[in-house]
Amino acid sequence: MREIREDITMIDVQDVSMRFMMSNDKIGSLKEMVTQLIKGKIKFKEFWALRDVDFQVKKGEVVGIIGRNGAGKSTILKIISGIMKPTKGRVVRNGNIVPMLELGSGFDFDLSGRENVFLNGAILGYSKEFLMEKFDEILEFSELGEFIEMPIRNYSSGMMMRLAFSIATVVEPEILIVDEILAVGDENFQRKSRQRMMELMSGGTTVLFVSHNMDQIREMCNRVVWLDGGTVRMIGETKEVCDAYKL
Amino acid sequence: MNKKKADLNKIGQVTVLVYVVCLLVFTWTAWSQIQNSRIRGGVYPVIAIVLLLLIILYILHLKNCQKKEKKSIGLDFIETVRKYKFLMEQLISRDFKIKYKRSILGVFWSFLNPLLMMLVQYVVFSKLFDLRGMGITHYAIYLLCGIITWNGFSDCATQAMHAITGNASLITKVYVPKYIYPVTKVLSAGINLLLSMVPLLLVTFIYGLFNGLYLTKAIFLIPIALIFVIVFTIGVGFLLSSLMVFFHDVEFLWGVFSMMWMYATPIIYGIDLLRGKAEWLVMLMEFNPMYHYVSFMRTIIIDGCSPALSEYVICGAFSLGMLIIGAFVFKKTQDKFILYI
Repeated sequence: MREIREDITMIDVQDVSMRFMMSNDKIGSLKEMVTQLIKGKIKFKEFWALRDVDFQVKKGEVVGIIGRNGAGKSTILKIISGIMKPTKGRVVRNGNIVPMLELGSGFDFDLSGRENVFLNGAILGYSKEFLMEKFDEILEFSELGEFIEMPIRNYSSGMMMRLAFSIATVVEPEILIVDEILAVGDENFQRKSRQRMMELMSGGTTVLFVSHNMDQIREMCNRVVWLDGGTVRMIGETKEVCDAYKL
Repeated sequence: MNKKKADLNKIGQVTVLVYVVCLLVFTWTAWSQIQNSRIRGGVYPVIAIVLLLLIILYILHLKNCQKKEKKSIGLDFIETVRKYKFLMEQLISRDFKIKYKRSILGVFWSFLNPLLMMLVQYVVFSKLFDLRGMGITHYAIYLLCGIITWNGFSDCATQAMHAITGNASLITKVYVPKYIYPVTKVLSAGINLLLSMVPLLLVTFIYGLFNGLYLTKAIFLIPIALIFVIVFTIGVGFLLSSLMVFFHDVEFLWGVFSMMWMYATPIIYGIDLLRGKAEWLVMLMEFNPMYHYVSFMRTIIIDGCSPALSEYVICGAFSLGMLIIGAFVFKKTQDKFILYI
């Protein structure tokens, strides 16, 4: 089974709160801004997407995050990966984080498949040597063959997804963030990609896993955080939390 | 991924080497200016050595910080450059590759564009203006210097303006220090500026054969001019790209403003045109950074000598000042980008 090191904290989320200011209408131009300011019409509505969220993830754990739409799951992932800064509180990270991107964001359609592997890899924070070394593996997994030298605007959507998936999952991160298990392509590739995800997640790295699929959560996670309306409703063993969530 | 620390010994050696080479080239090409300036020959070596010592001391200070794991801006900078070097390379090569990807002449346009523009403007304006009265001798080259410098600047700035909004899909999904986007945009567009030095030098050489204008050793000062322009543009890019996030109007404002700026800079005309008619504009010109950069370039190419030392100080101050202003605004606003794009 997995080895969990209780003494090493990989992610420490300390009392994180996130506030969004919602103006009545989004102001998109200087003119609007000025006229609205003069009229004294800009009112902000506060919206707390997260309130005092506090939990730790130990090394080797797979922690699931569950909750309804709008509970703040994506926001907490964005804060943990450093894309957003929390309004209050802070997050301490103890390793490099690789996010499972929405597949294909960062692709450039005029470049060839090969060039995109390097571009996308660089965006994900891989080093040049690492990509050189893994290039054949990526190529093989994507089953693209000679098409790798073609500009990807000529790819079919299936080909593009296969390439994106292959790049995204070649990683060996210390912390992996997974927003829903990705299964793409035809039936054969779907099976292959699901298996690859499972391997990645069970490979001993620390994983943060967001999903609406309770079966997957039950299968993969040791601990679960249940977010509800921006606060932690419950945190604990997978079975307990999942049972409570179902009710 | 690798957690090795930056090899400061190597960085230090390279820095010192680069400094010495720059110093030698500069001293060689700008010797007469140094002689004529207030600091004279005697003080110059002293300044040079003091600077060298300062560099060495700073590197030692950084090494000390690294050993004690203390924080320092310089060290942070080195670490991020090292960490994101590969990403920057990739982003720059992407921007550069796709620019001409679907055109037949491809990268040739970088050479052709300024030449064609120069040709058109030469035909039009050499008839319109009283060139003698403006004190311009080699108008074709005069134009070319101006056009290349201005276009380099305006291309880079316009590209950088879209750096944040154009990469929105990345910024919302993966963490990368955001200043990388405008900087890489400026650098990738800066390659064009660099490439356009080829037609500039080539045309000057050919033109010079028939009109008695010779390139001198002063051309070794061109890199300094380019660095001034690029640093200035990075500052402008920071400013524009962060403003662009909040107000998309900036795009259109910049279009008008940059046109105004272009006409306010003596690119197609000579500054003597203004003398007597609009003295206030001549005064104001001293505060136009682009005027200084363009003149800098023209002194090197047309006069074949180094600009006065005070010009280096003025240009450097403008570049550094703009960089600081831009970086300040960018840093202040960058955490809010994600909420607006």
